[in-house]
Parts: sequence; structure tokens; C-alpha cells
Amino acid sequence: MTAAETAATKPARTARTPRKPRDRVRKASFTQALNNALDLAMERHAEMFLIGEDIAEMGGDFGVTKGLLAKYGPERVRDTPLSEAAIIGTCAGAAMVGMRPVAEIMFADFIAECYDQVVNNVAKLHYMFDGQFKAPLVIRTACGGGFGGGPHHSQSVEGWFLNVPGIVIVAPSNPVEAKGLLLGSIDSDDPVLFLEHKALYRSRAEVPPEYYTTPLGKASIARQGSDVTVVAAMRMVPMALEAAARAEAEGVSVEVVDLRTIRPYDAATVLASASKTGRVVVANEAPRIGGLGAELSARISEECFSELRGPVVRVDGLDTPIPFSVPLEDIVLPGTDDIAAAIKTAAQY
Amino acid sequence: METPTLLNLYRDMWLIRAFEQGLEREFEKGNVPGMLHTGLGQEATQAALAWHLEATDTFFPDHRCHGINALAQQRHGGDGERIMAELFGKATGVCSGKGGSLHSADPAVGNFGDNAVEGSYMATVLGVALAAKMRGRPRVACAIIGDGTVGRGEFHESLNMAAIWDLPVLYACINNGYAISMPVGEGHASADIVDMVQGYGFGSKQVDGNDIVEAWTAVGSAVEHIRSGAGPYFLEFKTWRWQGIFAGEFRPEAEVKYWKEERDPIMLAAEALGERGVDQAELDAIEQEARDVIEEWIEFALESPAPDPGKATADVYVGWEVSSR
Repeated sequence: MTAAETAATKPARTARTPRKPRDRVRKASFTQALNNALDLAMERHAEMFLIGEDIAEMGGDFGVTKGLLAKYGPERVRDTPLSEAAIIGTCAGAAMVGMRPVAEIMFADFIAECYDQVVNNVAKLHYMFDGQFKAPLVIRTACGGGFGGGPHHSQSVEGWFLNVPGIVIVAPSNPVEAKGLLLGSIDSDDPVLFLEHKALYRSRAEVPPEYYTTPLGKASIARQGSDVTVVAAMRMVPMALEAAARAEAEGVSVEVVDLRTIRPYDAATVLASASKTGRVVVANEAPRIGGLGAELSARISEECFSELRGPVVRVDGLDTPIPFSVPLEDIVLPGTDDIAAAIKTAAQY
Repeated sequence: METPTLLNLYRDMWLIRAFEQGLEREFEKGNVPGMLHTGLGQEATQAALAWHLEATDTFFPDHRCHGINALAQQRHGGDGERIMAELFGKATGVCSGKGGSLHSADPAVGNFGDNAVEGSYMATVLGVALAAKMRGRPRVACAIIGDGTVGRGEFHESLNMAAIWDLPVLYACINNGYAISMPVGEGHASADIVDMVQGYGFGSKQVDGNDIVEAWTAVGSAVEHIRSGAGPYFLEFKTWRWQGIFAGEFRPEAEVKYWKEERDPIMLAAEALGERGVDQAELDAIEQEARDVIEEWIEFALESPAPDPGKATADVYVGWEVSSR
């Protein structure tokens, strides 16, 4: 990762608007919320350490580990060479003897380099060794497209792991829950793949300063509604909320379910909402085939068939790699307009 | 080496050989599911490693390491038969039959289990070693690998990271000449793995893996080096495996004859003991005792029950239950 690549992930600044007087409670960014979570967890868990590429002095490619080296020292905030398999292997081995490592894989796309470690070791060691070992580790990684990152810096990888029992996939959509879910992931005795959508890093909210956890495996109702359910995660959640606001103007009441944990996901909440509205949209940034949308659609169709008024409508990425050129990327990745159109389709049933 | 030590190692080597031969027999009878990779011919390296590793150390065995697994289990747990039962997929196995030959583990005796994607634990061993170092404990974390593993990316990632972090890792490379069918010199830049290790800048040594005295001495020195905090060490044991490949024997007849008849590690140890004045009757008794123990273990495995059906869905997650069909 070069400085030029880093710069490319940041949207160009447009003309500055005059600063408003500072809010009484300063809002924190998604990045700062994660940084604060790591800081609090490092204070609480003596057995925790951070490991990854350029996370120490540089503070990580997106600044999530900024300042932690100065506070906790190089033993607990470890830079590594470009060795993703060794990073995850180190976490697995340390976790097997009771440490609580948190790894950063700079871009989710690079997880392909340590896929074997995650799939064949981390996810299985509790099971195959009959519960004698646990793997309480967290793999944080920046995923998602929408910034011209091209085929190897933009992918949504949750589908790569959906078919892997033993791994937990956590996927926050806002700063407050990003902090709570990261602390929940660190506290968990299961291995967690923690997905940080790059487009959310700059989102801001009032984030409580204390140590708090958001439960894993529980979805939330991000917006209540009665006509159509949209099930989403990560960046698809703010997009779904925007689409829901537009639909409301047209008299359609939309409920938005934020999955928060993708595996094992909260089927009870999803199915209850689907049964209630009878019209469902599942929104997912990754390619359609074999992805999260496919799983949710199948499950909802199977278990809520008699309550559904029509087929589940899927919004996904196109079945292509992600192109570099931004106009092409806009074609490939789903957006608010796609969700809004899907809501319209569903509302007609 | 004192004669009583050599006699004990001789006993250990016979336990490994009897284990593997008993297992081959039961495998052919259909009592052992899955695949079978034996450590026949490699008894000296395994006995040497098992001798020096304490229960508080850690080792990651490879797929031919039933012997070291059984020795560790017998020595530190007093229940070597649970390794046999694991290979039969039984409830009394060290992993309740869920791991089998390729995933037998018992952390209480230092056995952290094989990862059947050969060499993946080259990465895992780093974490165990790092934890020991961060906690200031003089522990050894040992990865036992074959020559084929040298081709894996994790091999190089591991040696590099162990070097830059000065980790207490013992790399024990059992170079038996072939990665399944690929001769070591064709698959790697050098047929001598230590040559490839030189560049990482830590201690390494090539030893005769069929000479129990040489192997035992080398492991002892390497373990001492690592416990003193001097960083990683790499041992390459030159040896040869008796087992062919799935389809049978593929190696030249003269080579097979040489290793089985002139370089058998147990035969070489028996000769050394004979020269020290140990009589053949005592050696025969050691062999018989090992064979008797293994027959008891096989009996135990055969009579043990299958795992509880609930084990099929147990321990997928710590925090969630997985429902059965």
C-alpha cells in the first residue's frame, strides 16, 4: 500500500463551507470510534495485542490504530512484513494459548493470502480438536468499493466466508455500533472477521466514551415500517435508510433490518420482519451468485412462504470483478437508487 | 549417551514401530477409517524429539507423527492408548474421534495438533512462540515438518518472522527424500534444506535422522539453545520413509533395500547397544514389550464406543449452538 493508494481512498475535498460553531458533544468518526474501542480494550485486556502491516508508527492505512503504539509499546502493537498468512497464524497460535490478538488485514481483498489460515485453521480449531482450544481473535479488515480502488482494493468478501462454519462475521453500519461491535468481538471467545466498509470510515455520530458492547449475532431494526422490509448490512444500511425516506414520501412504509452480524445471522429478527411486512428486499454489495442476498432470499422464501406477498427482491453487485474507472464501478455496485427501485417493485406485490 | 538412555530410546523407537505396524494391519482390516501415513523408518527423529520436549512445551506434529503423539501422550498423560483410539475415530480418543490421524491434539501434553494442509502450522507456531516470549517463559514451540512443506509460502513467512522477532521456535524438518512422489532435489532449490535456511540468519544443523544418538544430541542442544533465549533453531533430519505411495512402491529397488536393510534406525541402535554389551535377549524383550503394549491399545480402541452423536454439532462456536437436522 503506497501513500498514493491511501490518498486515492479519500474523496477529494470540495469547496469548504464555513464551520459551524462546535457541537457541545463532539461527534466522532467511525475510524475514531474503532480507535477508541481498541484503546479501551487494550487497557482492559492485558493478553490483547495488535498485529498487522503498518499499524504501529503509521497507525494503519486508515488511521484506526493511530496513537496506540505510543501508549502500549511495540510488544503489543506489532508491525509485520507483508505476510498475511503469518499474521493470522500468529494470531491463531497466540489465541490457542490464551492471548487475545486483533489483526489488521489492510484490505479485505488481501485475505485471499491467508484464506487457508482462516478457513482451515482459525474457523475449525475449536471443533476439530474437540473444544480443547479456543480462537478468541479478531481480524479487522477494510472492505467495500465506491472509491475507484479497482479490482484488488474494493471487494466485499463476506460471501467468501459465508460457507465456513466456525467463523463469526461482524459488519457494522455506523460509528456507535462499530465501537460496540468491535468491543463485543474482542470480548468474544469465537474468531471474528470484522468488516469495516471503507465508505463508512468518515461517517460521524455521538459515540459514548465508555466501554460498552453491542451483542454479536443480533440484528437491529434501524427503522420501523409496515409495508416493505429491507435487510442490509454495512454501507447498504445508510443507503437503505435514504431509500426508505424517499419511499415514505410516496406513502410506502419501509422497515430496515441492519444485520450487524452476518454469520451466524439473526434469523429470528429477519424472519419476523419479513412475516410482518410480507414484502422483502435484500441489499448486498457483493456479487449476486452464492452471496449473502442468496442466502437471505432462500431462507426467507423457505420459512415465510405463506406470509410473503411476492418473491424476495434482491439488490446485489453485478456478477463482475470491480472495475477501476468510477463510471464503470457505479454500474457494477448497487446504490440508493437500486434499493429505491427494489422497494417500489416489492411494494407492488 | 549413557547406555540406560539409549535403551530407553530403543524402547521408544520400538513403541513407534509397533504402533505403526499394528495400525497398518488394522487399516487393512478396515478398522481405521480415512487415510494412513506411517512414520515407519523415521522412528529415531520422533523418539529424539519426544524425549526433549516437556509437557509445557508445544509441538505441532506432521501427518507421520503418530509416534511422537503416542510417546508424548504416554509420557506426560499416561494414556497413550487415546492416540490409538483417536485414529479409530472413537469416543475415547484425544479429540473424541473428531480429529483423527491428521488432527490429534492434547494441549495437556504439549500436542497442539497437526494441520493437514501441510505446513500451515508453520504460521501457527509463531503465535505460540510469541506468547511464550511476551510472557517471559522459557518454552519451546516446535513445528515438525516434512521436506515437502518447504515449498509452502508459510515456510518462508514463518522463518522470516521467527528471525526478526527472535522467537523460541524449533523447526524440525524430517527430510525423508520425497514429497509424496516428488524427490526433494527436484522440488526445491536444494536437496539439503539447511542450505535454504542459511539466509534467515539463525542457527541450523543437518543431522543423520536414522542415528538415534546423533538425533538425540542435536535436539538436546537445539532445545537448550532456544530455552536460553537465543532465538529460533532449524534442524534437518536426513531420513527415509518406509511407506511408498497410495499406489505402492515407486522408488528404485536398490534404494529401498539400502534404507530398510542397512539404514534401519532400530537395527542401527541395536548394533550400538550390542557393542556396549547389551545382549540380544534383552533387546528382544524390549521389542516384545512394545508389541504387547500396542496390542492392548488396539484392543482398547476396538472396544471403545463411537462418539456421542451430539459431538457432530458440538463446539462449532463457543457462543452459539448449531442445530442438528
